[in-house]
Amino acid sequence: MSGEESDVDPASVRLSRTRTWGGLDTESSYGPADAKPDYDRDLGDPGVFPFTRGSYPQMYRSRMWTLRNIVGYGAPDDTRAGLAAARASGTAGTSIVLDALTQEALDPDHPALGADVGMEGCSVGCVRDMERLLRGIDLTTTDVAWHSTMMIYPLVVATATKQGVDLARLQGSHMPDHLQLRLAGWGESLVPAALGHRTAVDTVEFAVRTTPRWSLGLPQAYDLRECGLGPSDEIAVGMAIACQTIEDLQTRGVPVDEVAPSLAWVSGTDMDLFEEVAKFRALRRIWARTMRDRFHAQDKRSMRLRIACHTSGRALVYPQPLNNLTRAAVQTLAALLGGVQSVETCTYDEPISIPSHEARELATRTQQILAHEVGAARTADPLGGSWYVESLTDQVEKAALERLAAIEEIGLVKAVTDGMIESLMAEHNDTVQRELDDGERVVVGVNRFVPPAAESPKRFTFDRSGVEAHLRRFAEMKSARDPALLSQNLAAVLATCRRGENPTQVMVDALVADATVGEVWGTVRVAHGHPYDPFGVVSPPVDLS
Amino acid sequence: MTRIRCVLAMLGTDVHIKGIELLGRRLRDAGIEVIYLGPHNAPTQVAAVAVAEDADAVGISFSTSTYLHHSRSLMTALHDSGWEGAVLVGGLVHHDDGAELHEMGVDGVFPPGSSMDEIVGFLRGLKPETRSANEVTS
Repeated sequence: MSGEESDVDPASVRLSRTRTWGGLDTESSYGPADAKPDYDRDLGDPGVFPFTRGSYPQMYRSRMWTLRNIVGYGAPDDTRAGLAAARASGTAGTSIVLDALTQEALDPDHPALGADVGMEGCSVGCVRDMERLLRGIDLTTTDVAWHSTMMIYPLVVATATKQGVDLARLQGSHMPDHLQLRLAGWGESLVPAALGHRTAVDTVEFAVRTTPRWSLGLPQAYDLRECGLGPSDEIAVGMAIACQTIEDLQTRGVPVDEVAPSLAWVSGTDMDLFEEVAKFRALRRIWARTMRDRFHAQDKRSMRLRIACHTSGRALVYPQPLNNLTRAAVQTLAALLGGVQSVETCTYDEPISIPSHEARELATRTQQILAHEVGAARTADPLGGSWYVESLTDQVEKAALERLAAIEEIGLVKAVTDGMIESLMAEHNDTVQRELDDGERVVVGVNRFVPPAAESPKRFTFDRSGVEAHLRRFAEMKSARDPALLSQNLAAVLATCRRGENPTQVMVDALVADATVGEVWGTVRVAHGHPYDPFGVVSPPVDLS
Repeated sequence: MTRIRCVLAMLGTDVHIKGIELLGRRLRDAGIEVIYLGPHNAPTQVAAVAVAEDADAVGISFSTSTYLHHSRSLMTALHDSGWEGAVLVGGLVHHDDGAELHEMGVDGVFPPGSSMDEIVGFLRGLKPETRSANEVTS
């Protein structure tokens, strides 16, 4: 026996860690003395203030979460094919991810970035690309979720305008949280913090007044989490962004009850099942109290937070990628036990390549198994009343409120530009890495149970000929335009921004007139004193002086 | 003492800064001088900095799939600039592509599973003479 045991990695038979994944200390067991919430004040029934136990009385009995699957690669026609495949496997929600150039508001013909076109998302450089992508999709009945921030809302509105759609009936969602991009790798050169925040406020103001059925994923806390925030800091930074946006809109005369019901929190789930459930519960409680007590919301819909969840891509690892199926399943379970309204489950091959069709289908099946076999959706807040989970909920809430106060004392935009929030992320990442190096934090296949010789995982590839045709069409579209009309439209964007007015409508008008994503955003940048092209390569098509 | 100077940068549209920022901290802790350019650089910009800073090494992190293309552009830009030093590529680099990266002149390839210590060791190995000299005098 002892001979056999000596071959076993000690971590396989010993608890490796007693703190949560987010760093909270835990006890060996919890009892009545550890969590004494006042039921009506701190929990409430599902669907009742402060919504700790869920946003709706019947939760998944009245409405299941939306099973989403992100699709986007190559040219618009490639992505259409991917969307059809996702729908065929039972994906209810249409989620489209755009390529990095589009997400960074750069045109697909950018001379320094050609290789990135259509990789990791669909390339959309102009309204005509949107029309190709959305052909046959009714924008008033199909709930398309756009996994994107910069320029996508004006693109959708421009497309709808060209189709003659009544904007008051426009359906779908996007993520207007531009400020978080600044923290999530776009940096000051691509998204200057002040311009980013201003653009978020402009977009939300326009959207709630013009397209009231459009949902707004703000804050977009998922990317922040992935970049390096723990669960409580996700709440803190996200709340700081939401609060500043709502405050700025109030000063523009848009009351909280006109804004908050359109907002949805874009969240992530990491590996720690109970801590993530606690986070979702603490988040709803903090949101409800903040909307009621700080912003004096009257509408229940303002206080009742909807959460859109994407499982953590960062938690997935390259070695032995099939293990990522287990990770994504547990994260998805945490989201459901935490009562979210939509889930996108990462594909297991995310660390390796663009998701393959097979991996995408497995992500869908994961959610279907949880929905129909495991019973995860049966009863609202199934972990409520657990001493452990109630205690964790209180701890996450307390840490989040303390950090939120620290950020707001500095001021949100300043906390971004001064590097305060980036320091939080750097510290978090440093701690995690040290724990991995020390072996205190075990990630299977990475620092323990490492396979001796792993085979290289397979990669998804696709035919790039569609992208080449897409680039040719883009060039033809540009050269066929009336230069005077283009000039007039970009001048209107420039002038509106310089007057300090909300430029969303003139941006839409310019897109309708075939100005490109890069041209419209570049003009906004110039109006605010930033270089037209952050890479310093492309010049404006017209004089913007 | 001549410290090893390493430019750290990202190319193209890649926004995944977590790994490279963490590496930057670790290299500094190890006594290596880091010139951090962050994301969104053109190859010519990286080459110009490598020359201006008289860097011993250029390290590029990739989390997007177009790293072969960007690495090739970088090698051309570095060659054209006349800079001479070691080039490191790491991140989500598929094991099958290591040979091609080496062929184009990349000196150190650090795919998933590589440790920070390996990268530090590689950089220290660039100037063994300074290390042994330091060891003698210290």
